[in-house]
Amino acid sequence: MADTDEAAIHLPSQDSAAHNDIDLSDETQDFRMLNHLSFLSDSSATLPKRGEKDFEPNPTLYQADILDASRQAMHNALAHPRLHNTKNIVVGIYAPDGPAPPRSSAPSKSLDTIAEGDAESRPAQTATDTEEPQFKKPAGMGVHLDSCVYVSNPKGQFFKNMGRADRWNRVWLLPEEALYLLERGSLDIRWPTSATGCDDEGDSEDSGIPMSLQAAYACFIGRGGLSVDRYSVYTGLKRLGYTLIRAPGWYGEADETTEDSQNKRQGPGLAGIYGRFMNWLYSSNTTAVGPVAGLGIHRSYNDIYHKLSIIPWHDPTAPQDQPPQTEPPFRVVLHVYKPSTPFRKSAPPTPDFRIAVVNARTQTTMPTMAQLGTLLDSTPLDPPKGEKMQRQLYMRLRNGYRNVVLAVVDQGVVSYLRIADAAFGKEKIYERGAPTGNKKGGGPRPKFTKPKGR
Amino acid sequence: MASQSNSMSIAAPEVAATAANSAPTQNTRPSRPPRPNYRHIHRFPLPLSVHPLPPLIPHNPISIVSVLLSYLTYLISPPRHEVHSAYFDPDTSSVHVTDPKAIRALWEMGFFGKGSLSRSEPSWLEREKKRRGLLGGVTSEEVTRQRRTERRELKLERARMEKLAIEQRLKAEAAARETGDASAGDTSAEQPLLSSADGVTNDPLPTEKFSLRKAREAKMLESQRSVVQAEEKSTPNSTGQMSPSGGKTVRFSPVVQAKEFAPDSTVLHVTESVGDEHGAEDEPLLNNEEHLQLSNEEAFFLVYGLGALQVYDDKLNAPLSVPSLLSLFCQHSRFPPCHPSSDLDLDDPFMISYVVYHHFRSLGWVVRSGVKFGVDYLLYNRGPVFSHAEFAVVVIPSFEHPYWSATEERRAHCASKQARSWWWLHCVNRVQAQVKKSLVVCYVDVPQPTSGDIQALSGDIGTLLARYKVREMLIRRWVPNRTRD
Repeated sequence: MADTDEAAIHLPSQDSAAHNDIDLSDETQDFRMLNHLSFLSDSSATLPKRGEKDFEPNPTLYQADILDASRQAMHNALAHPRLHNTKNIVVGIYAPDGPAPPRSSAPSKSLDTIAEGDAESRPAQTATDTEEPQFKKPAGMGVHLDSCVYVSNPKGQFFKNMGRADRWNRVWLLPEEALYLLERGSLDIRWPTSATGCDDEGDSEDSGIPMSLQAAYACFIGRGGLSVDRYSVYTGLKRLGYTLIRAPGWYGEADETTEDSQNKRQGPGLAGIYGRFMNWLYSSNTTAVGPVAGLGIHRSYNDIYHKLSIIPWHDPTAPQDQPPQTEPPFRVVLHVYKPSTPFRKSAPPTPDFRIAVVNARTQTTMPTMAQLGTLLDSTPLDPPKGEKMQRQLYMRLRNGYRNVVLAVVDQGVVSYLRIADAAFGKEKIYERGAPTGNKKGGGPRPKFTKPKGR
Repeated sequence: MASQSNSMSIAAPEVAATAANSAPTQNTRPSRPPRPNYRHIHRFPLPLSVHPLPPLIPHNPISIVSVLLSYLTYLISPPRHEVHSAYFDPDTSSVHVTDPKAIRALWEMGFFGKGSLSRSEPSWLEREKKRRGLLGGVTSEEVTRQRRTERRELKLERARMEKLAIEQRLKAEAAARETGDASAGDTSAEQPLLSSADGVTNDPLPTEKFSLRKAREAKMLESQRSVVQAEEKSTPNSTGQMSPSGGKTVRFSPVVQAKEFAPDSTVLHVTESVGDEHGAEDEPLLNNEEHLQLSNEEAFFLVYGLGALQVYDDKLNAPLSVPSLLSLFCQHSRFPPCHPSSDLDLDDPFMISYVVYHHFRSLGWVVRSGVKFGVDYLLYNRGPVFSHAEFAVVVIPSFEHPYWSATEERRAHCASKQARSWWWLHCVNRVQAQVKKSLVVCYVDVPQPTSGDIQALSGDIGTLLARYKVREMLIRRWVPNRTRD
């Protein structure tokens, strides 16, 4: 009853997985825990628990002391010197014209790069390379065409899932990757000699002039489809440890061809014919002015429910007639992998999440069914699997048959929404027999049963 | 029994004497009254009776005979089809059921409607009887009220304890300051800061929060103590003056007490006086002031979907036909109701909400209004007495057919109908997460009008409804911090 619903609000959460919406970032923090953080001792130190929070100020000295100590701890933590070891420094060089072979090897290699490049060159790239004619089609280097920073001495863990190496052992970084590493302090980007003009005779393209963060933002944002919104989603998730790669939808292409569009549409089959026959048998002829349930004697409630089902519903498992045409903001642009998912740069596995990035200021309303529907249809079928899902109706419904994550960016604040295509019509709960008890076995989800008399 | 004495003790706080009485019952949480057998009461999911055939076993001739026999019985004396009646009230734009038998039937079989004077189940008469002392037991509304009173009381107690702790600390600090001023000043000033600086673990007592549980315990302690005190007072030759309360005695402040118990005690007095004056002759005057209120969707489902109800106009004394009922509800789906002669739009709010209602009902869900949670519908599995609603549904129309985007005017119309801001979505989403429900956005695709619509409306509602299409999407906040694993 509504009463017990209200009562449930006040109760501590029992199932932490499903609905845990306590946002830690909302809390006012007690930074005294930072005092116990050892920065230098060992890397395996776990993050400490945050302290309790006070809700309102009171005139005690005690509270003032706590506040003071917390503030001081924060200052200490921030004032801690952060050093770069010269051995670990990673220097990247900005390539404003996109991927190109190194200057030293350029004359000898130019011929076969042309030959290779023709195979998979893209028209977008050719326009940018008018300056240096011998580097006309450098696409054959096996790197991303939007890459604009290369690192000759790739070191460290970041290159496990970022960048692409070319044949000269230089790792090319995409603008968002370079910007992320620069912001993190893990990469030092230098201007190329071509940009600075002070061309010394050496082979090196490194002018030695470091690129500022402002310059990096100016150079990289807007390059190759990288918008500020996309970048804030990228960097936010990246900092949490996720691995992100661009999805085909980034460039406005169709996302990966979904499996179900490939499998042929076959006839209804024996089961289908039987189903149709049963439908015909059950279908009532009294839908015009009712009662839909029919006038005669009802044999069972299941029959009544069968007759009542006259409203068509969308079946996400049904094969699609044509590939969905997604329209810009509602399109998967990033594939996201959990930190625990084994990831290989050369052969990325199936993504754990697919993200579409929406700017809440240009797209001010939530998507219409057509927009959201085609977005979901462009993702592969991901039906509820596993023993637990088979058993638990609510979990099955919550999982849905397709899902996508919408990242709604409102002036830099990102909120993520998981959209799932739940086919309620596939779950006929009237077939599930009588309830097993009072407020206990009603749902498969273990709810906190609130005793009524309290 | 125990529960009743408990409730009485809550209602009548005649300070010391009853405090002594109530203390033991407070301590041993009374077992709650046995719940009615909901499985039996609500064993029929719909207000229709079913007559299952006996099982037919082909190789057993007796079973064939029994099947034939049952057919024959139904042929000779067909079971009566129960049709309840209700009337439409244009002022509240809802359908009222006044027949007590129909009210019980509609509530018990499928949880239709709501008592006009109750929270959901029509229980006003029962409550009223209990209030006048004619009936034992407690209604759910009373239980809720009692629980809320207790909770409020405990919160006040907690606030008071916190205040007390702060005052104590202030006093201690003042004392420390005085002594510190007398002795060497700088070291003592440094002392608290240092101790609290890394004092997350150092100083557990003051950082400890006052939970409701602790407040409850403290209250129990207090009531026990008051019992002891009362006993001490009652024994004349005890040393009553020096009741050995230490420095930390927790007492009810008179203000709090007065605030807490004022409403209950007035109610008690009123009932007492009523009972004294009128006594038994008041009993027959007590007639049910409550009726069952059906939402328009519920009423239309009962009429059109199940045929278990007929709705009378409040002026005409004949039941409304299904098409006229539909147009009536469509007129009343807006405020003020639109003119009766204006013909019906396919994107009428009633049509859209009814499509969703019918859809979920036909799948076996018990659909009830979700207005308390800021949504259109709540979906209960089997019924609200069995489990909490898991899904909260908001209905949004959708206009996919090219007809709706043909002209500029139509486009604007559709856009205004289906536009929902992100802020709205986040609000609804957060509220549903707070009450532990999953948000379902149910899109209803509105078909394009065809020339035959007017006829279809008056004639074939089934084909009209079959042209709509629903698509449910579950929207949930994705918290990247929690899905990392």
